[in-house]
Amino acid sequence: MSTPITTAAASAGSLVDEVEHVHVDHLAGAKADRRGRPRVDRIYYLFLVPTLVLFTLAITVPAVLGIFYSFTNFIGFGDWEFIGFTNYIAVFSDPAILSSYLFTFGFAIVTVLLVNVIALLLAIGLTSRIKLKTGLRAVFVIPMVISGIVIAFVFNFLFSNSLPALGSSLGIPWLSESILANPDLAWLAIVIVSAWQSIPGALLIYIAGLLAIPGEVYEAADIDGATPWYKLRSVTLPLVAGYVVINVILGFKNYLNVYDVIVGLTNGGPGTATRSIAMTIFTGFTGGDYAYQMANATIFFIIAILISVLQLRLTRGRAAIS
Amino acid sequence: MPHESFRPSRPRRARRRVALATAVVLGASLALAGCASGSGDGRSDITFLISKPEAIPFFRDLVERFNGEQSDVRVTLDSASNLSAGFLRGSPPDVGLLNYNEEMARFMERGALSDLGDMPEAERIRPDVQELVDQYATYPGRTSVLPYSVAAASVIYNVGIFEENGIEVPTTWDELIEACKTLEAAGITPIYSTFKEPWSVGQGLFDYTVGGSVDVANFYDELHELGTEVGPDSTVSFEKTLKPPVEKMVELAEYTNDDAASRSYGDGNVAFAKGEAAMYMQGPWALGEIAKTNPDLELGTFPLPVTDDPDDLKVRVNLDLALWVPEVGTDKAAARKFIAFLMQKEIMDDYNAEFLGFGTTTDAAPATDPRILGMQEYYDDGRFYQGASKFVPLSIPADNYMQAIVTGADVDETLARLDADWARLALRG
Amino acid sequence: MTQAAARPIPLTSPREEAVATTSTTTTRTTRRRRRRVGQEKTNWGTMVILLLCALTVLLPLYVTVSMSLKSTTQAVDGNAFSLPSPIDFSGFATAWELTNFPVAFTISILVTVGTVVGTVILAALASYAIVRNWEHRLFRWSFFYLLAAMFLPFPVVALPQIQLTGLVGLANPVGVTILHIMFQLSFSILLFTAFLRSIPLELEESARMDGATTWQTFRQLIFPLLAPMSATVAIFAFLASWNDFMMPSLIIADSSQQTLPVVQQIFQTQFSTNYNVSFASYLMAMAPAIIVYLFTQRWVMEGVTQGAVKG
Repeated sequence: MSTPITTAAASAGSLVDEVEHVHVDHLAGAKADRRGRPRVDRIYYLFLVPTLVLFTLAITVPAVLGIFYSFTNFIGFGDWEFIGFTNYIAVFSDPAILSSYLFTFGFAIVTVLLVNVIALLLAIGLTSRIKLKTGLRAVFVIPMVISGIVIAFVFNFLFSNSLPALGSSLGIPWLSESILANPDLAWLAIVIVSAWQSIPGALLIYIAGLLAIPGEVYEAADIDGATPWYKLRSVTLPLVAGYVVINVILGFKNYLNVYDVIVGLTNGGPGTATRSIAMTIFTGFTGGDYAYQMANATIFFIIAILISVLQLRLTRGRAAIS
Repeated sequence: MPHESFRPSRPRRARRRVALATAVVLGASLALAGCASGSGDGRSDITFLISKPEAIPFFRDLVERFNGEQSDVRVTLDSASNLSAGFLRGSPPDVGLLNYNEEMARFMERGALSDLGDMPEAERIRPDVQELVDQYATYPGRTSVLPYSVAAASVIYNVGIFEENGIEVPTTWDELIEACKTLEAAGITPIYSTFKEPWSVGQGLFDYTVGGSVDVANFYDELHELGTEVGPDSTVSFEKTLKPPVEKMVELAEYTNDDAASRSYGDGNVAFAKGEAAMYMQGPWALGEIAKTNPDLELGTFPLPVTDDPDDLKVRVNLDLALWVPEVGTDKAAARKFIAFLMQKEIMDDYNAEFLGFGTTTDAAPATDPRILGMQEYYDDGRFYQGASKFVPLSIPADNYMQAIVTGADVDETLARLDADWARLALRG
Repeated sequence: MTQAAARPIPLTSPREEAVATTSTTTTRTTRRRRRRVGQEKTNWGTMVILLLCALTVLLPLYVTVSMSLKSTTQAVDGNAFSLPSPIDFSGFATAWELTNFPVAFTISILVTVGTVVGTVILAALASYAIVRNWEHRLFRWSFFYLLAAMFLPFPVVALPQIQLTGLVGLANPVGVTILHIMFQLSFSILLFTAFLRSIPLELEESARMDGATTWQTFRQLIFPLLAPMSATVAIFAFLASWNDFMMPSLIIADSSQQTLPVVQQIFQTQFSTNYNVSFASYLMAMAPAIIVYLFTQRWVMEGVTQGAVKG
């Protein structure tokens, strides 16, 4: 039997394949409809449809509404009129929006790399022959259960007080002032705190993946006299490739939406140096730039879809298999 | 195999408990949500938004008085909600008494504010003051806003320091620079600045230098007309028209305290009250704060001279408080009752006297406080302008740009960026 | 409906297999000896590195606890690593009152419990319906429809949701609960459907033969079987809802009805340099989730590693 997460991952990776395999589910005694398929028990509709309706009202309708308004000059209330693609043209020439995309994508790429490298190494360590396995594993998962904004406030204190104190005692100039006030380095703080929070999630998936590798594989490698480095590179990595893929896809998607951690650390500052895409979009709520930011949001949506499709395409054959 | 009837087993009880728990949870939440609303005693409940921090106690007392004097309407004071958010959710305050500027004008432009022109109070407003409202934007056929108090601002100066150093109040730019140099030579900081807070740069050095040499209302009229065509080659633009005053602003910034970049509004009030500088680019709202530290300090005001012609002297005004009622308000009749109460002559005169504002009505009492008396004649003669920084909608951070300039950013580049932002904003209406 | 077929991971490459077989006979005894030795030998180097890494997790927690126990005067010096002396609990009392902790805590609990219960129930029901009616278009397409939301970033729908919840009177914790459930559905349905496919059909068929309706089958057979996955779904839903800052801060209009994470931000300016108060507040906000996790971490670990060792 496989783990819940790996089976879920298998579903994600093979969604397209599933469509081609229409299974016939014949329960004893069920009648067939005119296409030879068993008739649907009425109650199944009751199981599904209310959720479907609620979901549509809560998510699909706002999405459609938002996209609609992006073609107007609606500020959230009062009179408005259609202006076609004008908002979109303006978005593409807006330096504030472009720099928020630059920051967010840069942040996401760096954080994905950092998180996955560290999580994989930790997972390898936590699944090797060590003592206190359960204790250590429990400790490493704790960052995941803490609210992003709360831990950001804690790190804010450390970055503003403890780190500069350390830096000035060591005589390092750029570390002697809070990096949160440094427009060139503030993004590092965001990366560090986000990574701190996300490593546990990736860690769990890697542990699951590593535990699924049969011990015989390593023994065979040992027989060949493989070095630990060879084992990591040519045995472990290929076998966890599917899990790497899952973590990268889920992680990247989450990092693109970064908001909580930024609010707690820099609130977009200094100036607008750490303003993420989400933050910029939310200004449309309090700044009366509703339709304009909806155009921004729609573009973001399209980019997110393209990235997800790209990732799924590239990894169709390599997703974790049960 | 014997047929067992499908008896409900123990899981059913657990399931029932889950259902009950869910119902309790949902019920509690709904009750909590419903807690906020609902009074049920026949009175109309309306919310009143006033966010000028210094004035909140004054209006809190007024609200209590109003609630006590009649039993049709109950007013709740609100001082914190975000306006755009309230309008977006369809639940804005029922009466707003706020600073009126380009940002507020956006609400008015879209028809979000109801027409108050038929109220008798509207007749009492001075025409040249009502015109200040129109300088931003208009909604045809409506008087959407009733000005309540005008704040006139110009350079605040320490009378004692000026006298000690034999300096006369300057009426031209050259005289001003002379005065600064004299003060510097005497080891006194000529101007105290608080660059840490962008708004103090915008409504201080920036507004004063621009307003003293450019026809602000006209400038923005033409900018609005140019719209997307604003640029280095257009007839007016930030980088063309405002470059000379902004360069003067940079020059003046050299005569301020060295630590201005890390000084906040509070620091500035205290420092100026302690006599650490001769001049302070703030408005009447700071006078009250300064008095907290040093109530006996003798202060005066004079309009910042930016040209060589004393006749160009003007004071900066802004509609510090203006009344409006949103179109989607819950009970407009109740709101109007409250407005009529607020606009009684004695109440308006009381407010303006206490908060050093100038009355907006034809029957307003003149100012008596010596600290702002100097501006009365300018106000009466109509020699005033609205601050240039207030004509820029909030999505363009004009104040931040000015802060960047006084802390070293390149003037041409920053002004060009302002033009680009304006053109882009005009593009999307 | 087939069960999840166990597709074996190739154990060795053909070359390795050849080598293994040839060396099997000669090295059988050595292998056995090596295996026994290998199982006993603890990798101390890795242990040390892991312990050091564990410090990076425990350090911020230590700082939080230590700062929260300091007196106001000691906290002002901003020294994170000094031990509290004397130990002063007044920070907690002040934070409790200042942030109106009981109210915020209750609201967070209600929202989170509502989210967890709502997500588990709705997702389980929907997943069962989808999995048992896969060949019908409505159910199949619903699966992909509901799943698509996983790729929908919240900022995209945030502004319209703020507007709509305000207009229908849901700009409060109830609205947040409903939205939390909706956003959790995609992932939860993914997990449940995957798990359901591994439940053999014969179990249900025998229940049906005994005369059970679909509802009874679900309630008394399927739902109990889903328990391990329900736990996983519940834990994810709990964490997502309890720790969420973004949605409540935007959706809830009245700040006196805010959840615990948002309250931390609202009072940030009022804490100023009373670090002991602010850290006490953070600790009180963190503690419930950590405690719940410590109690349920066994299930989380099991959910992740369930049967994987055998696989």
